[in-house]
Amino acid sequence: MLVYTVRRVLGTIPVLILASVLTFVLIDVSGDPLSELRMQQPPPDPSVIELQEERLYLDRSMPERYWLWVTGIGGNGDIGLLQGEFGPSTQSNSYDIGAQIAERLGVTLRLVGAAMLLALGLAILAGVVSAMRQYSKIDYTLTFIGFLALSMPVFWFGGIMQQAGVTFNDLVGTQVFATIGDGLYQAQGEDLWGRITNAFAYMTLPTIVLMLTSFASWSRYQRTSMLEVLNSDYVRLARAKGLPNRVVVRRHALRTALIPLTTVVAVGIAGVVDGTVLTEQVFQWRGLGEFFVTAVNENDSYALMAWLLLSGVVVILANLVADILYGVLDPRIRYE
Amino acid sequence: MHKRRKTLALAAAGTSAVMALSACGGGGGEPAEEEVTWVINSLPAAWGAISSAGGSVYVIQMLSGIVPYTGQYQPDATYEYNMDVLAEEPTLINDNLDEGPFQFSFTLAEDAVWNDGTPMTGEDLRVTMMMSASPSEGYCDTCDSRGTTGADMVESVEVDGKTATFTLKEGLANPEWRGMFDAHSVAGGFYPAHLAEENGWDVDDPAQLGEYYAWLHETRPEWSGGPYQIVDGDLENQVVKEPNPEWFGETEPGLDRIIMPYNTDEGTFIPAFQNGEIDGANPAQYSADIVTQLQDIQNATLEIGEGNIWEHVDINVENEWLSDVELRRAIFTAINRDEIANRNFGATYPEYELKNNHIFGSASEYFEDHISDTGQGSGDVEAAMQILEDAGYELEGDTLMLDGEQVGPFRLRSTDTVTRSNSLQLIQAQLAEIGVQTNIEMTDDLGAMTSEQDFDIVQFGWSGSQYFASSPEQFWHSESTSNFGGFADDEVDEHAEATATATSLDEAAEHANAAVEAVVPHAYVLPIMAEPNYFFASDRLANVEDNLQSSYRATYNIGEWDLAE
Repeated sequence: MLVYTVRRVLGTIPVLILASVLTFVLIDVSGDPLSELRMQQPPPDPSVIELQEERLYLDRSMPERYWLWVTGIGGNGDIGLLQGEFGPSTQSNSYDIGAQIAERLGVTLRLVGAAMLLALGLAILAGVVSAMRQYSKIDYTLTFIGFLALSMPVFWFGGIMQQAGVTFNDLVGTQVFATIGDGLYQAQGEDLWGRITNAFAYMTLPTIVLMLTSFASWSRYQRTSMLEVLNSDYVRLARAKGLPNRVVVRRHALRTALIPLTTVVAVGIAGVVDGTVLTEQVFQWRGLGEFFVTAVNENDSYALMAWLLLSGVVVILANLVADILYGVLDPRIRYE
Repeated sequence: MHKRRKTLALAAAGTSAVMALSACGGGGGEPAEEEVTWVINSLPAAWGAISSAGGSVYVIQMLSGIVPYTGQYQPDATYEYNMDVLAEEPTLINDNLDEGPFQFSFTLAEDAVWNDGTPMTGEDLRVTMMMSASPSEGYCDTCDSRGTTGADMVESVEVDGKTATFTLKEGLANPEWRGMFDAHSVAGGFYPAHLAEENGWDVDDPAQLGEYYAWLHETRPEWSGGPYQIVDGDLENQVVKEPNPEWFGETEPGLDRIIMPYNTDEGTFIPAFQNGEIDGANPAQYSADIVTQLQDIQNATLEIGEGNIWEHVDINVENEWLSDVELRRAIFTAINRDEIANRNFGATYPEYELKNNHIFGSASEYFEDHISDTGQGSGDVEAAMQILEDAGYELEGDTLMLDGEQVGPFRLRSTDTVTRSNSLQLIQAQLAEIGVQTNIEMTDDLGAMTSEQDFDIVQFGWSGSQYFASSPEQFWHSESTSNFGGFADDEVDEHAEATATATSLDEAAEHANAAVEAVVPHAYVLPIMAEPNYFFASDRLANVEDNLQSSYRATYNIGEWDLAE
């Protein structure tokens, strides 16, 4: 297993290099980071533009810039992935892309973690219940909810949830749910109970929105997988041996049925992270999704490259974890 | 039975939890009695407003109540000096260039101090001017000021305590001299100089002044020269302001705390406002959808007015066909501005006004209508056809011909926004009525399209300002890099140059109006309308109003904000 893992990790290096080249070239050719400055009215002094070109290394050729971006050799100490520097930002001289990513990663992981846990728990529950009661009213209801959830645009559903939160607050006469912000500022100086209520207020609505798509697809996987297992010979044998239904489902069927879901969830992490782009925008969380939107709006090429590269790394790592987990969970699979 | 009881117990536990949280008031929190939450509509990129990155309305508004300034335009477009900060109105020492260089001075009030108790002096004005200048002026190696014109004119500054006297370079005049440190200036006011020395920087060393400039833009200001000071915050979430204990102004701040969260999604304004999470905002973009929703909300003030961004249609006069002024006049006459404005804004802002002067808004004292009488933008198809017939054009079926050859088709371009998309579709239909065929081509890179003259007819927006002296030169001067359609005319050049070098605003306005009058018959730029802006505020606030003449918008008088009785 260890050898396999090391081999897979080494195998990601060329993929990462290729991803870095593609990311850099695509962003680099997609536009001039200084276009807004050049369009400014009245036009800035040429020395101001030169200053910015020099700061953003736009006075160098594309291959030179790529080399700088990766190694940092020949730069001003603010660029070079190998040195932990993502490059200068067009947003301002003081905008540290690396520090921003580190800070926002925590915000996003908070949201993603909560959404994934909730989505996973509900998906397993819904999938198992649907499979156990195949073609019953509850199966049809859960199926309908699943397809509804899959078809709902995040920005729209986010707006609906915000309005629902406002309506609920009006009903109870106090602010139970907040509709904007991640609540971290508001939690400063609060005691434990204050932090819990704060987290509840700020996290509930965006978590529900973010988990919706994942819940929908994962519950369908879980239903299919569970049905397959429930109809398998060894489950029939367990039942024939007189084992109680609860034991058959929990010990024999569910464990096996969870294996495909595990890999789907591991790969799905990337999708959930991508889903934060809209969710964070709708609920005004300053996480990585919002970082991406700002980078696009500000034509911040190095910030965009950092985000895309990070997404690439997450996808590669998630696939790696999925492969490894598959081996761990399924005793029939052995890596050589 | 047992199962059902468990389900009920779970439901009861969930409800209890929610009710318990409700009893605790939740995390949203009710606003404190003297606390106001005012939205900044985007993320401010820096803590200083001088730089090109920091020079946005969001930074300016975030720094409202912090940066002192010498004056500003009021909502009714009249100018008022800030007599809290000034000892007397600024003095124009010499505006007769034959007698000597252009000279003026500012004297700050005796009791004007920064929040650390240090007196404000002329040195603050001198250092702000130096940081606003181009690196090529030699004051600062790395200052990337977003607007260098005024500062680059300065030859020398003499500081005498509270007074700073500015002398311009020989032969140069600045009609907008009084605005050098006002709310509309590049810095949005002026910055403290003494903090440079306290941090070990010599402001007369170009490298060290650059370091101070960077520090001002990178460091959350603990300094303040206004009624409030920033006590908490960052550039990603919000700033929190509380009254400046050293404030020397006549009006005491009326609030204990102002929280300014940054909110980039206008779609969230309504639920947040209804939920009591925000008390108001002055968004930069107009949204008919949000305005419609706001109109239905009780206990809220909603105002809509003419904003600073004005849309216009430009023609590439270097196009083979469009170089003919008669064809251009016919095109502008066939365009129906009222239909465009009505389609875009009529439903929520039926009081919209068409723009009839490229330089001055209708509220300006210098406004003169140069468009209405020409018929341009009227949508008068008959008049347009008459112009074409007189010039020898003929209509064959639906196609305009000249000497047996089809005129056009032309590339009609803009960026893909709802407003501009609507507008271009209407223009296309309107021009089709006079046989001019166009193909709509959208772009997401307005800068490249205009600078490369990659259009035949284009619609985009200019940002207007109360300070206009450089505008005619930018728009129409034959050597301007912003004169995208390639227009050139000696008379317009003369008036544009005279506007920029006038010695007073009145004189500059006279030349600016002359430039407009000269350019209109050439049918080069057709102004359509200024895009409206809206503002909303909770009725629990008092003394809060929008100021569309200022980048500070509603925060222009933040020191006077209070809660309603």
